[in-house]
Amino acid sequence: MRYISTNKIDLLALSSIIEDENAGAVVIFNGTVRKRSLGKEVSHLFYEAAEEMADKMMNQIIVEAKEKWDLCQVLAFHRIGEVLIGESALLVITASIHRNEAYEANRFIIEKIKHELPLWKCEYFTDGEKKWGGNCNCQEITKDPNVHIYS
Amino acid sequence: MKIKTYAILKNYFPDVIDMVLELKNIEQVKNQLEEINPSAKEILNLSRFAVDDTFVSLNHQLNGNEAISVIPPSSGG
Repeated sequence: MRYISTNKIDLLALSSIIEDENAGAVVIFNGTVRKRSLGKEVSHLFYEAAEEMADKMMNQIIVEAKEKWDLCQVLAFHRIGEVLIGESALLVITASIHRNEAYEANRFIIEKIKHELPLWKCEYFTDGEKKWGGNCNCQEITKDPNVHIYS
Repeated sequence: MKIKTYAILKNYFPDVIDMVLELKNIEQVKNQLEEINPSAKEILNLSRFAVDDTFVSLNHQLNGNEAISVIPPSSGG
């Protein structure tokens, strides 16, 4: 399975494949592209990844989540390339017997992706400017780019 | 030795740098990149390094045949 792809994320189609009779809770995080950022109007986002590496890491993150929580189902996808306003860039779905596990596992996966995945967002603005940004800044505290802080 | 750069690092270096110097470890790679473009020092200090798709520390030893990636701070999501 590819976790990193230029394909559009189809929330409805992906939600339907996670139906599980054992699950009493399904948590869906749908990260979408917003219209404004840094006080300016956004044209679109462009995501770049070290694809093979990011794909392997995404699989490891999911394995780790399954080890930490009793999950019925997990899905996670990150789109790369050009992503337009309102479109999904990141989708994480977790299903579990009770809600706590689904919420916690979902948050864990998202935070790991944001802090550790070799994947980067570039914001393109309608005024013609662009900015690589929203970076993980844990190293300002840990003094080590390989050590992250999770709240 | 090929060194691949990503995202904001492409503002400072080409996508792929073909390093002809013999470099013994990742710290020497980082120092060499700083020499090539001193204005990249700050972002290099924030970056992680990977050898053959695995994150490594600055003292990781090199044999010269590895694929090295310089990974700036993540900004997915």
